[in-house]
Amino acid sequence: MINEATTTGMASSMATLNSKRAKKDVWSWLNVWSIGTVLIAMTLTVPILAVLFIGLTPSDAIWSHLASTVLPLYISTTLQLMVGVGVGTLVIGVATAWLVSTCRFPGKRIFEWALLLPMAMPAYVIAYVYTDILEYAGPAQGLLRDVFGWTTKQEYWFPEIRSLGGAVSMMTLVLYPYVYLLSRAAFMEQSVCMLEASRMLGRGPWRSFFSVALPLARPAIVIGVSLALMETLNDFGTVDFFAVSTFTLGIYDVWLNMNNVAGAAQLAGLLLFFVVFLVLTERFARRKQRFYHTTSQYKALPGYALQGWAKIGAVIGCALPVAFGFALPAMVLGSYAVMHFEAATNTAVFRYAGNSLMLSSLTAVLAVAIGIFMAYGVRLRKERIVSFMARFASLGYAVPGSVLAVGVLVSLGALDNGIDGFMRDKFGISTGLLFSGTIAAVTFGYLVRFLALSFGSIEASLSKITPSMDGAASSLGHKPFSILRHIHIPLIRGSALTAAMLVFVDCMKELPMTMILRPFNFHTLATYVHQFASDEQLGEASLAALAIVGFGILPVIVLSIAITRSRPGHSNEEPVS
Amino acid sequence: MKGLHIIGVSHAYGDNQVLDNASLMIPAGELVCLLGPSGSGKTTLLRLAAGLERLQQGKILIDDEIIADVHCHVPPEHRGIGLMFQDYALFPHLSIIDNVTFGLLGQPDEQANRRAMDMLDQLGMTAHASKHPHMLSGGQQQRVALARALAPEPKLLLLDEPFSGLDTNMRGQIREETLSVLKASGVATVMVTHDPEEAMFMADRIKVLGDNGRILQAGRPHDIYYHPQHEFVAKLFGLMNRFEGVVKDGCVETPLGTVRAKGLGEGRRVEVLVRPEGVILDSEGKDGPIITVVSTHLLGHDNIVRVRLPDTTGDKEKGKELYVRAHHTFEPELSNRITAGVDPEYAFIFPIDNFGGMVGAGYTASPQPEAAE
Repeated sequence: MINEATTTGMASSMATLNSKRAKKDVWSWLNVWSIGTVLIAMTLTVPILAVLFIGLTPSDAIWSHLASTVLPLYISTTLQLMVGVGVGTLVIGVATAWLVSTCRFPGKRIFEWALLLPMAMPAYVIAYVYTDILEYAGPAQGLLRDVFGWTTKQEYWFPEIRSLGGAVSMMTLVLYPYVYLLSRAAFMEQSVCMLEASRMLGRGPWRSFFSVALPLARPAIVIGVSLALMETLNDFGTVDFFAVSTFTLGIYDVWLNMNNVAGAAQLAGLLLFFVVFLVLTERFARRKQRFYHTTSQYKALPGYALQGWAKIGAVIGCALPVAFGFALPAMVLGSYAVMHFEAATNTAVFRYAGNSLMLSSLTAVLAVAIGIFMAYGVRLRKERIVSFMARFASLGYAVPGSVLAVGVLVSLGALDNGIDGFMRDKFGISTGLLFSGTIAAVTFGYLVRFLALSFGSIEASLSKITPSMDGAASSLGHKPFSILRHIHIPLIRGSALTAAMLVFVDCMKELPMTMILRPFNFHTLATYVHQFASDEQLGEASLAALAIVGFGILPVIVLSIAITRSRPGHSNEEPVS
Repeated sequence: MKGLHIIGVSHAYGDNQVLDNASLMIPAGELVCLLGPSGSGKTTLLRLAAGLERLQQGKILIDDEIIADVHCHVPPEHRGIGLMFQDYALFPHLSIIDNVTFGLLGQPDEQANRRAMDMLDQLGMTAHASKHPHMLSGGQQQRVALARALAPEPKLLLLDEPFSGLDTNMRGQIREETLSVLKASGVATVMVTHDPEEAMFMADRIKVLGDNGRILQAGRPHDIYYHPQHEFVAKLFGLMNRFEGVVKDGCVETPLGTVRAKGLGEGRRVEVLVRPEGVILDSEGKDGPIITVVSTHLLGHDNIVRVRLPDTTGDKEKGKELYVRAHHTFEPELSNRITAGVDPEYAFIFPIDNFGGMVGAGYTASPQPEAAE
């Protein structure tokens, strides 16, 4: 952008206008932006580095103990969960995406957005709901017993929902939209011309799908599955409720029940390797994806009109994920909320809702402010170190909440001890724990995890503003801060708001970090729902759960609007040649 | 009859009528250019022939066999037609050689590879066979797209604006290469373009399209340039000098001199269009009006000269300005008496109807119906 040559050139040409000042100001601003960016990024990476540090510090006693007891179980369970969810989301996501992008069947236009709805359901919420329905005392088995006259559990077989398989099903149902969303975008972007070219070269529709459309969408599908798997590793509520011994649960268990922070951090460090693998896969796929765009011509996809069984199959195939991932659980929660209205609307609920709103708004505002600062810092100085640090700081989205929580806990504990020791040495005052177990700690944890959301979308929308805008503004005498205020912020306002909303909603749903970092006896909607559902009192928590789902629908709406807007030629209208 | 035959095709996208009863005959073994502005439906014609759009009305035949009418739609993969897309549509996930073998289904790998390498060789692309499309320049991608379309030896090759993605200095060379490869393969080719120069260069035969796929004129490049039958066709090749007049004794009087108006009725109002190269500047002029040179722009071989005619009162500052393409040796400084005349070969006369608009046909010949070819 503003490099040394133009700066000095500008300064010398403005010799009459106090060249010294002009030059000095430009440089000092640049320093503030880049140093600020690096400092913030460093602060946000401390928790991850703390986990890595402890994880790599050998402390044989803990390690060998873990390795001989729980570790093999954690590893195999986590792997099985990942494989299950990976395959499940892949099949459902790609199949539904292909159906709604290229085939015509009744309800297609509704399914286009409805298939995103399960995204609004946190996995733990549908886990509670399905447990309620499918457990021994629940209505499903009750109905079977009534119909067939069974009286005891021994007389019939019924799948156990509180199991690894149950956890796989729950997470698949709510995480497939990641794959659906990304592969649908890929199908819509690239296949049109490509499919036509393939058919002109003699391949029929099905062969074209497998030899052209699917390979072209592969990077997008890989990204979608990686994101779904990151969420899988992050999940705490479901595996805790189903008692499926994954790493995430193990970390929590080792920390709380065995009172062993170092052990928890070691586990967390190990889990980071899974994460690194996922992140590398995702990044690699993204790099590859860039080369997968050769066509700039967008025309409507073929729109194969399905007939007979194919038509019915397509409708059912698209309806099932929506029904089981969203409609049924939402209806169950709704009916519970009506039935338990008195209990569900106690004053505590409103206080917890207030807590959730406060924490989420605070984090959203901070995340967007920091996101803008960092994205602009990266834009101003195209220096490797700045952009590397910013990117490293936004790795948090991939790191499971439990791992980050342990990192925050460890690093804030060290900070508190440091301040306490210093104050005692110098002034003889003990400050105790200043940050640990406070709302500030929770907010910090949220920021580390969700900053990537705001930084990513703000950086993406900044990059759409041509650098000549910056050049024009600075040649008209504006300094970086003024350019940001008058040019960039007005231009990126829309995506900054979207970013704030995404962060807000994710904070509303967040469970594992809140559980570990929250102040004593402090509840958010999520922790409240988790606690009551764990005590088999889902009825009382149903309204709170519905509230979380309600907020979760917001990004679904925004996403579906964005999809329709991004392809103007792809609504009802036929292409114009 | 061998070739592509499009009969009475109408096509609409929603309310937008793109083709209206368009008919077209492309004989086998020729390179035919469909030349027309955007909105003339030329790309739609191509897509209908390829089978990428479903036919709404009319029928399409190849070698006397129906490939599309209202009831039947042979899918594109069974038509044996090659299409080169405007943006090439190379498969980004496949290497160059895999792109070219993509259409060679049912052939043993070895044979397909040999055929593909042979095609790449003709286009000088063998060195890039194992690369991926994003590693190639625009011109190289164009060559691969051509190789890919030709590899399955299609009955008919369709080219959709094949050179529009290239920058101007590469265009000339690639155009020449493409032409020689097409001639060598002998495949019947239909090319769609909006660039008259490109059409003149490539085509054995040009069909100029107006609105809704209506054919304004069909003929060899020479006919299109020297015998335009329609005002629109005359104006395809750039700016024209326009005069109005009335036919008198079989001639039309213009400020540059008299032009013969064969076949037009006495007293008919006409317009005379003169190409810039049809205005003859004479620095030792005797006949014709004395003109004032306004500016000259040397382009290389040609000199673009703007001149002004004196107005009816003889005022040199107020008359009509003309646009003249003169030889590069033209040096107005050396002369103070330059006259202008007209070369009748570059002057075209079209009747003006009573409302001031144009009537379709030119004067030199009656318009030929397409079917009469």
